[in-house]
Amino acid sequence: MATNERPQALRRTSPRKRVVAMSGADTFLGRNLIGLLEEDPHVGRIVAVDIVNPPTSGHKTRFYQVDLTEPSVDARLSEILKAEAVDTFVHLAFLASPTYATAWAHELESVGTKHVLDACREQQVGKFVLWSETLLYGPHPDNPNFLTEAHPLRGLRGSRFLTDRIGAERETRRFAEQDPGRVVTILRLAPMLGPTVQSYVTRWLSRRIVPTMMGFDPLLQALHELDAVAAFKLAIDRDVPGTFNIVGDGVLPVSTVVKLAGRFAVPVPHFVAHQVNSVLWAAHFNEAPPAFLDLLRYLCVADGHRAREELGFLPAFTTREAVLDFGGTLRLRDARLLSKEPARSGTSREHQAGA
Amino acid sequence: MSDDRTEREPRGRGAKKARPVARASRAGAGGAPAAKKTSSKAAAAKASSKKTAARKPSARRAPRGMGTEPAAEPAAKRPAAKRPAATARSFEAAPSVQAEPFAEVGGDVPADSAPAREVPVDERLQDIERNLDRLLSEADTAAGDPIARRRAAEALNQIAERLSPTERRDNPDETLFGTARELLSTDYYFRQWGRVAMRNRSEEVDDFGLDPAYEQRVLPFFKLLYERWFRVRTEGLDRVPTTGRALVVANHSGTVPWDGVMLKMAVQLEHSRRDFRWLAEDFVFHMPFLGAFMNRIGAVRACQENAERLLGRDALVAVFPEGIKGIGKLFRQRYQLQRFGRGGYIKLALRMRTPIIPTAVIGAEETNPLLFKVTRVTRGLGLPYVPVTPTFPLLGPLGLVPAPTRWRIVFGEPIELDEHGPEAAEDAVLVNRLNERVRNTIQGMIDQALAQRTSVFWG
Repeated sequence: MATNERPQALRRTSPRKRVVAMSGADTFLGRNLIGLLEEDPHVGRIVAVDIVNPPTSGHKTRFYQVDLTEPSVDARLSEILKAEAVDTFVHLAFLASPTYATAWAHELESVGTKHVLDACREQQVGKFVLWSETLLYGPHPDNPNFLTEAHPLRGLRGSRFLTDRIGAERETRRFAEQDPGRVVTILRLAPMLGPTVQSYVTRWLSRRIVPTMMGFDPLLQALHELDAVAAFKLAIDRDVPGTFNIVGDGVLPVSTVVKLAGRFAVPVPHFVAHQVNSVLWAAHFNEAPPAFLDLLRYLCVADGHRAREELGFLPAFTTREAVLDFGGTLRLRDARLLSKEPARSGTSREHQAGA
Repeated sequence: MSDDRTEREPRGRGAKKARPVARASRAGAGGAPAAKKTSSKAAAAKASSKKTAARKPSARRAPRGMGTEPAAEPAAKRPAAKRPAATARSFEAAPSVQAEPFAEVGGDVPADSAPAREVPVDERLQDIERNLDRLLSEADTAAGDPIARRRAAEALNQIAERLSPTERRDNPDETLFGTARELLSTDYYFRQWGRVAMRNRSEEVDDFGLDPAYEQRVLPFFKLLYERWFRVRTEGLDRVPTTGRALVVANHSGTVPWDGVMLKMAVQLEHSRRDFRWLAEDFVFHMPFLGAFMNRIGAVRACQENAERLLGRDALVAVFPEGIKGIGKLFRQRYQLQRFGRGGYIKLALRMRTPIIPTAVIGAEETNPLLFKVTRVTRGLGLPYVPVTPTFPLLGPLGLVPAPTRWRIVFGEPIELDEHGPEAAEDAVLVNRLNERVRNTIQGMIDQALAQRTSVFWG
């Protein structure tokens, strides 16, 4: 086993070539990041860890089929990290949308992250980048208009759906505190919109008739998918430890977002929507459980100031532009000029879940 | 449902576009014998059209046949819009290949549609004859060219189409059908709805959700309230700075708090058009409709982070430190300032180095006199209490219309806290002392203004 000879010092990035390992390589972010890293001369090797080989992998990429929900996966990961001399780990193995298989999601997101961190700890990986979301702050009526990184992660009210993600982030922060020399970057991404990304948000907006909450019109924030990928590239290139909100500039009310996307908003009273959504969710007929309805009632907008100052992240798209770009794609899909879903939709984990 | 739509829509759209083309070909088939008869000679159309084009560059440049007609021929005085819709549409869609011969014919011969009646029919017929003669005579020269021949045939077909009464008869039907189809498509209603719903809304809002278009829309109502209903008088507006951050600290009153909006109107109508924000209680944003409305007109949820961010942008911010206790004062407690929170606004002013402008609002207490409040069953509604005023539950929502009291807003001398550094915000004793000082100042201003007031409604 790899355990008999553990590296003594943190494995640092060699000045010339980085070796980047990526769990969840076949997620939206993973696929696009691999495409970018393949072209980057400063990256020597990409180690893709997933259950499906991402379509963007080229000659630099080595694919390892690893299922993070297996019990002994940390030893396997540790071997891979050692064999490939990985110095940067990008952890993207999370679900883009809520799933019915909550027990499995717990294994993947919470326990899977623990396995990954254990392997990184064992092999003294010097740099760790985590995908997190501003959604974890949770929509609450007493949120300030702009949530900073210091704000506690409260998740959704009365729901356990995001607790695995919050747990994963907490684990990662503990991992960062254990060794101050380690560069641990946590990127909290705003909801992604764009031509190819798929999530419960895009599915909600893709409907011809978009349900909204009657009497509520909270401000939304979106991040263009290109900016999301660019933020990860930036986090890999620059060694800036810390937690960062990655958001697009500007905010828009829900009603305006729906209209800019060319959709028809139907306001539904909250108690009705809650009941109907529960039934639909129970019947596997819906994109999100009722707890997510709070996103349409209360604010969950993050402040991207810190990413701009410290990480140097400047979003290329404002919220409005991201919505318009997404709306343009929707129009093409409506006219059947584009297929209903991008070629490889969803994450590999959703394939596995049979969703 | 959505699948159904996507399937139907492209077909409908395609059919609409394809229609004029189909018609042209139909006309072509119908007029084939005539075209054949003259084909050898009519081929001259191309040559003649080239000539015309040289003569009238505008006709050549234009991509559409009929669109150029009024420009090419000043004699055709009728505006394009007056043409029957069917004709306009069929020619609009005609491909540009047809443009040249048709522009020529159409240019020289005013079309026979209804608004053109000022030109006598005989004259027009003579014109057409003359043109045909020319076409035929010139056809000999270009008889060999098949493209020219086809163009000429098409031009003749179009003339025939416009002269033929049978064609004209089914045009209105087609328009009607098209209109009906458009009206029946859900897409039409989606578009209309989108237009209606965005009418009073701007596409971009400020960081805190202020919608400029919406604000402009409701401004006349607030202006009416300010100038006619409450007849607000202001004093000391010159003490409010025109630039830089400042914190307006005022008393809160009136069950339904109109004071935030009226302060905003006072600044925007009588002072300068500078951005004015006020911090509103949490419960406003728990409530449907009210929260969204307040957000759009410039209210911000009261919390330290929001206030700091606003002051960081050098905004003029109003706070009501009494909070809910202020608007929930019973009528017999009117104009007695409640506890000023825990002095959060003092900490804010110290930290952000902001001058405090103490402000007294007189007249708001009597707009909806609160007799007592029901707190027992309101937790579920998200309301702190349900007010009972002389009119409210009695007259329904109408009971919340404010009484037309005469308002007076007094802005006091700014209190500078510069002598204390930002670190003084941690000094609880100092914060309490400053808090009490500001509170006493405002209470003094209120008492003085009340002593001067002679009548609630006219004073």
